[in-house]
Amino acid sequence: MTSSGQIKKNNTAPEAEHKALPEGYGTTEAALLPRDPNWMFIYWEITDNSKNNARKEHGADVFEKGRQVIRVYDVTGGEAAKYFDIPVMLEAKSWYVNVQESGRSYCCEVGLVMPDGKFIGLVKTNTVNLPGGRVSDVTDERWMAVTSDFDKLMQLSGVEYIGKGSGEVAKSLAQRWEMLRAVFSRASSWGVSSMSSQNLQKPAQKKFWLVADCELILYGATEPDAFVTVSGRKVTLNPDGTFSMRFALPDGVVDLPVKAMSKDETDSREIDIKVTRATTHDGK
Amino acid sequence: MANKEKGYLALVLHAHLPFIRHPEYEDFLEEDWFFEAMCETYIPLLDVYERLTAEGTDFRVTMSVTPPLCNMMADPLLQERFRRYYSLRLELAEKEVVRTRNTGYYEVAKMYERKFRRIRELYEDYYHGRVLDGFKKFQDMGKLEIITCGATHGFLPLELRKEAVHAQIKLAADDYRKHFGRGPRGIWLAECAYNPGDDVFLKAQGIRFFFLETHGIIYGSPRPRYGVYAPVYCPSGVAAFGRDMESAQQVWSAETGYPGDNRYREFYRDLGYDLEYDYVKPYLHQDGVRRNIGMKYCKITGKVQLDQKAPYNPAEARELAASHAGNFMFNRERQIEHLNGFLGKKPVVVSMYDAELYGHWWYEGVDFLEFLFKKVHHDQKTIKMVTPSEYLTVHPDNQIVQPSMSTWGDKGYNEVWLNGTNDWMYRHLHKQVERMVEMANKFPSADGILRRALNQCAREVVLGMSSDWAFLMTVGTAKNYSTKRFIAHTHRFNGLYEQIMGNRLEENYLKDIEWRDNIFPEMNYRVFSTEEMQKAARS
Repeated sequence: MTSSGQIKKNNTAPEAEHKALPEGYGTTEAALLPRDPNWMFIYWEITDNSKNNARKEHGADVFEKGRQVIRVYDVTGGEAAKYFDIPVMLEAKSWYVNVQESGRSYCCEVGLVMPDGKFIGLVKTNTVNLPGGRVSDVTDERWMAVTSDFDKLMQLSGVEYIGKGSGEVAKSLAQRWEMLRAVFSRASSWGVSSMSSQNLQKPAQKKFWLVADCELILYGATEPDAFVTVSGRKVTLNPDGTFSMRFALPDGVVDLPVKAMSKDETDSREIDIKVTRATTHDGK
Repeated sequence: MANKEKGYLALVLHAHLPFIRHPEYEDFLEEDWFFEAMCETYIPLLDVYERLTAEGTDFRVTMSVTPPLCNMMADPLLQERFRRYYSLRLELAEKEVVRTRNTGYYEVAKMYERKFRRIRELYEDYYHGRVLDGFKKFQDMGKLEIITCGATHGFLPLELRKEAVHAQIKLAADDYRKHFGRGPRGIWLAECAYNPGDDVFLKAQGIRFFFLETHGIIYGSPRPRYGVYAPVYCPSGVAAFGRDMESAQQVWSAETGYPGDNRYREFYRDLGYDLEYDYVKPYLHQDGVRRNIGMKYCKITGKVQLDQKAPYNPAEARELAASHAGNFMFNRERQIEHLNGFLGKKPVVVSMYDAELYGHWWYEGVDFLEFLFKKVHHDQKTIKMVTPSEYLTVHPDNQIVQPSMSTWGDKGYNEVWLNGTNDWMYRHLHKQVERMVEMANKFPSADGILRRALNQCAREVVLGMSSDWAFLMTVGTAKNYSTKRFIAHTHRFNGLYEQIMGNRLEENYLKDIEWRDNIFPEMNYRVFSTEEMQKAARS
């Protein structure tokens, strides 16, 4: 299950870890999760068994006749006073639900609205209490004297920064990294020239001497699941979609076409790199 | 001297990495995250605490050391691999001091040699491989307050079952007790993600306080009298401290934050790419691919291409860190004076950061902290540094407020951990929790191999709950690895579940999984039972 490293020889049999996750768990159920003051996420599973039961009870063509919806109930205070419907396909299995009013309690029911307006519920979720996303209207009477200063206190507390937390540095670092990568992938050779070590061998029996050589390193990055070739040979990508390789660089022209194909084979990009090397010794 | 201060500064560092340990491989790329953080942040912080203590500078800092981190620090295999990691770097640093003589890189090469020698000295001679003992030492002195975190940094607001919330907190408290010899007084809720009401499970473990992003407090009800500058009590009586954004922005901000100064070290120019291939190859992973090795010779320099970066000057950068620490302190003094006048009360300014920002991302950040501690101790009287426990002892009376659901993630709520890149996880995760609860209830007192299998199931569930997997999918780094990890824990759990419920346990299968995922050796699966959860909720 890895990107690097060698499997130990004495390892027990590797697990079948690449098999897919279960499509479903054979139970009709649904769950609702809070995302932010105005959005929730719902997922559901409706088994064939449940569908057949609905057909038995309401008619064989109930799924053809009925509109498939998520019914969103406002259950603040315990009673389902208001609701609205979101049209969906049951096969979608999950959905993001937008609500106008924050700070309230909601639950959802996936089901069918029949031509006569009757609702047939198939599966119901848990209840979610969404945050208000704003300053509370409730003020403690004992503190009424300070409410006029509350706006200033909020400013001091940095309310304008809300939501710009640690994500910001991660983002800015990521952007900078992308910028740098874009810059140096266009430069043919940036690193080895200035900092190469003195690891070359001194030729035997020569008093004064010089040796020099150079290597070629190719870098790149694409979507992690893309198919990439360099000069027609398949390249194994790192998990983050980066790749790099080192080539010997003889005199002459080296042609390095880099091709990437998206996983679904609908999109491709190509970058062609040509490198020319000409070496002379003492001017010859 | 006493009571001259106008307010308090509580510095909180959140140290965390997901549990990454792969005995099935000789050499594993993602284990480097831990080794890098050890060399760049955790051990350098201990070095600062050692030095301050030796020279008699008093200081206060609050630090989470999350249970996955504790388990990795205490793990013999990772200890051995960490020794290999720093020894190789020390070897390279020693060679580099010779190679770079008479070049512009000599000073920075010497800096790495000193650094890795000191790491070896602290790791071997001071702590004998047990860095947790180092942290415990400063906690016992009263200078450092170590807080815990959910067992695997689980993201609690997206759990459906309270059994899962209880298990994350209870396992964390037990693990803390094992490593630090007493119960935790505070907790860092993973991602500062708070779901109203979950604080009862903190109270059940004797935890007195936790931390919230600014709007968790500001949007609380009723309105908080002092904003984020005094803690509030949840209805359960557990205190919530809110984050001060002014001090956060000073360090974090992309435009004006300290770490972006041109004289600081450039993160993206690394010897792993710069050195001649055959020379650096022994210090790369076995696959021989060039990657960062954590030794970097250049400064940020300016908005120039990577090959235009100038040599790093350690003395210049250290001086800059001192001046930034002075600036940070000056701003806190003015802020605290102002708040004191405005509130008519001593404010507590809570400055919270990821620990890995200091040292790993911002290389000089650890120097910055050292200078800050020294300057606060020697050069001023306005600010007093405190730990939350100290504050609550002196100021036990606080307003009762129900804080709002909130996180410290982008946009302030749950979207980072619930979006199109990762929402597919939750139906699987919730199913595992449901099945785990079902088994914990069904087998009140299992023993033998069944007990082992149930305990391992509990380990797989909590490992799958790490908020790190969803986070890494969102930001797109290590997306493959995090996806594979989540799927692997799901498969291992489901495999064991089917064997247990089908009454056909295979010991070899179990043994293999126990060997791979050995977090929480003292796991008791009953932590997931409904009965235990209800007992905790009532306490």
